Amino acid sequence: MPLHVEIQLLAVVVAAACALPGVFLVLRRVALISDAISHSVLLGIVLAFFWVRDLTHPALILGATATGILTVALVEALHRSGRVKEDAAIALVFPALFSLAVLLIARYAGQIHLDVHSVLLGEIALSPFRRWEVGGVDLGPRSLWMMGGILILNAGALLLLWKELKVSTFDPALAASLGFSPVVLHYAFMTLVSVTAVGAFDAVGSILVVALMIAPPATAWLLTDRLSVMVGLSVALAVAAAVTGFWAAWLLDVSIAGSMAAMTGVGFVLAFILAPDRGVLASLRRRARQRVEFSGMLLAVHLLHHEGTADESVETRVDHLQKHLRWSPDFARRVIDRAERVGWVRREGRERLRLTPLGRETAKVGMIR
Amino acid sequence: MSNGMPPSRDDAPPGHPRGRTWNRAGDDPDPSVPALEVDDLTVAYREQPVLWDVDLRIRQGSATAIVGPNGAGKTTLIRSILGLVPRAAGRVRILGSPLEDVRRQVAYVPQRGSVDWDFPTSVEDVVLMGTYGHLGWFRRPGKREREAARRALERVEMAAFAHRQISELSGGQQQRVFLARALVQEARVHFLDEPFQGVDARTERSIMDVLHELRDRGDTVIAVHHSLQTVPEYFDGVVLLNVRLIAAGPVDAVFTDENLRTAYGGRIPYRSPTSPTSPPPPGASPAAGPPPPLEG
Amino acid sequence: MDGGFLPALFTDHTLRVVGLGAGAVGALAGSLGCFALLRRQSLLGDAVSHAALPGIALAFLLTGSRATPVLVLGAALTGWLGTLFVMAVVRHSRIPEDSALGILLSVFFGVGLVLLTFLQRGPTAAQAGLDTFLFGQAATLLVQDVILVLSLGGVALLLLALSWKEVKLLAFDREFGRVQGIPMGRVDLLLTSLLVVAIVLGLQTVGVVLMSALVVAPAAAARQWTDSLGRMVILAGALGAGAGVGGAWMSTLGDGIPTGPAIVLLASGVVAVSILAAPRRGVLWDRIRRRRVRARLAAGGGTPGMPSEAPGERERLGGGD
Repeated sequence: MPLHVEIQLLAVVVAAACALPGVFLVLRRVALISDAISHSVLLGIVLAFFWVRDLTHPALILGATATGILTVALVEALHRSGRVKEDAAIALVFPALFSLAVLLIARYAGQIHLDVHSVLLGEIALSPFRRWEVGGVDLGPRSLWMMGGILILNAGALLLLWKELKVSTFDPALAASLGFSPVVLHYAFMTLVSVTAVGAFDAVGSILVVALMIAPPATAWLLTDRLSVMVGLSVALAVAAAVTGFWAAWLLDVSIAGSMAAMTGVGFVLAFILAPDRGVLASLRRRARQRVEFSGMLLAVHLLHHEGTADESVETRVDHLQKHLRWSPDFARRVIDRAERVGWVRREGRERLRLTPLGRETAKVGMIR
Repeated sequence: MSNGMPPSRDDAPPGHPRGRTWNRAGDDPDPSVPALEVDDLTVAYREQPVLWDVDLRIRQGSATAIVGPNGAGKTTLIRSILGLVPRAAGRVRILGSPLEDVRRQVAYVPQRGSVDWDFPTSVEDVVLMGTYGHLGWFRRPGKREREAARRALERVEMAAFAHRQISELSGGQQQRVFLARALVQEARVHFLDEPFQGVDARTERSIMDVLHELRDRGDTVIAVHHSLQTVPEYFDGVVLLNVRLIAAGPVDAVFTDENLRTAYGGRIPYRSPTSPTSPPPPGASPAAGPPPPLEG
Repeated sequence: MDGGFLPALFTDHTLRVVGLGAGAVGALAGSLGCFALLRRQSLLGDAVSHAALPGIALAFLLTGSRATPVLVLGAALTGWLGTLFVMAVVRHSRIPEDSALGILLSVFFGVGLVLLTFLQRGPTAAQAGLDTFLFGQAATLLVQDVILVLSLGGVALLLLALSWKEVKLLAFDREFGRVQGIPMGRVDLLLTSLLVVAIVLGLQTVGVVLMSALVVAPAAAARQWTDSLGRMVILAGALGAGAGVGGAWMSTLGDGIPTGPAIVLLASGVVAVSILAAPRRGVLWDRIRRRRVRARLAAGGGTPGMPSEAPGERERLGGGD
């Protein structure tokens, strides 16, 4: 395979593997725990390296995953101690573990082939050079195999725990009553996140893992309400960001990982503004329409309230509405025109409004909703 | 306690915060002006109405409860009057003026749970926050303000706790501190959101004593309240709310079977002390009948 | 100090400059960090500092200057844009704040790395050293930089002192302030700006990756020792200054030890000690108290109910309705 194809393949697999657990990180509102985990796994890698003295040893993955889980446990213990709030607990734990790892790397730089740059950037462009050879046969890049395995693990775990994750995400009380242990499920899920962060760390570095885990699922959430669609969309968006990010980086000769992260951001901003139903533009348009509709209902309720009261003659005047309901003359005309058109009110003379029977019914129903 | 004593400001006993440190007597509003006028007030979240076209008049020198089922918009009513929630429509006047012009006359006791009681500050400090409005930017509370805070704390029987950290307080004590913070504002119209939420019976009574005293001096007390049973004892007037205004006025005029059923549906958490009402038929649904008469 | 370990490069003068700069950065971040901690914005600092990276790279790209004021201005600009982005996303979409912060920090950081790698293949060597902004290198501080930190930091702390009661009210009960007619939106703007200034001033010393820890850690430690906001802010400033000086000194000891991690480790150690052992709030004291109570109960000396406590404690148990 040509080099750039192998890099793209790896980028696609990393992106997809990150997006899968990312969906639940976003929905469970623990997005920033991914930031904490992806930083502190470095300490696990470094410590495991001191033990086995081999940067390709599987013990590194084990050690790193363990520190990921340790991070989650530490954050929870600190939060539960009541001395600091949860956001502060996250902000205290991972910088400490990460700093320790960076200092160890700096202190023993000669022994570890890790430098602070690869920690932040990853080495996706170099990973095709680390091959997996069995009996002299080249099976392809080592990290592609690893990330492929993690992708399959994530997909399998999601299928297996689909129902449990879904219920515990949207209705924790129901999940508990159904007998799912929230603690076991939480830690199982966090183990997945840790394994994924460790694998992706090698390729894209500790901070950009967060972009791949959070941005595509958040983008997908702006586009759909269905969980299964959201998972599919997240993977598709992550893959698209990986491929476009790769080509942008290739053309401009810049960091591939940084470019992939930037592309996930581009996707999010586009969806945030343009999403057909939840985008800013769509909701502004809908808001404006609803405001007229709602104000028409308000007009009907207002007229109903003052029907037959002493101040009726005042309260039903058009100029009074402008003053009391704080409507601009232009807006008041639009609301009244619409209410007339749908047959809720009719004008009496030029300045007075009266409810029609239909308008009266509508107002009564609207009030008790 | 509520003997209709005419409002008088000069005979305030020494030591009472009505000693008027910053709101001078010259500011006294005309007693015939309503304390609160609400016209056509509508509040909506994301175009869903939370309050529908509420009209309300509350006279000065009265104590009024705002009651209604959960989700009726009681808290929203207070918050929109105080400008904390945007209004979709409507007009609010306090003592005859827009809120911006009479802020110094308005005190607010928010729900106790709305703040972090683990915040590193003392009881006295919290009470002093009630003086920040009249101090303006840059100026620090001085001797006068501390004196006023001390008097307010004495008034709620919390003077001994002035230098306590607020996390050490019980629910009832927290509520007293919030009340003292409102007292130190020396306002004319007092808004309280669920002042008895989670407080002990003794605190409830002593808070009510303070509120009655304010009322008897001509101040206006408006409180979101959840126990219908204590309304006749505690309050002169009541506002019955369920998204729209069901009724407002003197307690016995508002607490009719029909009004209560309209507001609460089948389950009315209230039994009249004078005429025991027959329990409503099970499963009675809220009537969509004609709108009830409004207070003039 | 043991002169033998110090490379000849570090004259006393340099050490003084570096120590002063790092100490000032720590004091500023520590004292303003108290409000981030109390307002539950601990992770906003993290996002802002990451968002500053593209600003640094852009400032250099546009001006070709590596002067600290230029870079700080760029950093503050994108840091600010980042906070606006988070506020807009939270207000106008269903995306919760934590996800918005995650996107901000990682995407802006990615853009920053793209720009940095773009710069690094440029023809000039002037960009060399821009990447000290990743983990910080206090040794690169010049006298002018320290003057900038001291003057801007001084103005920031002065503004904080002048707006003390407004800022306190903002952190404790924003709506009560609004009802009194205090412009809480403007107070919020002021405080957030001060925090952004503190963060970008610290980037050269601590780096974008770990700057947020210098905002949160001294504040979290100080909170354990005092129940007064004023004392907490002063103590956090002192702890931050201590961590800054200590970390800067550590980084001059060994070759290539970045300052950021050294400072953060020192500050984290202080947090750990504080949470465990601070009088009254310390976790260890809790343990000891509980053990004493249990021992007293076991000895049969105590009443079967609660040991005598403050009156508030009793009322809390008996209270409620």
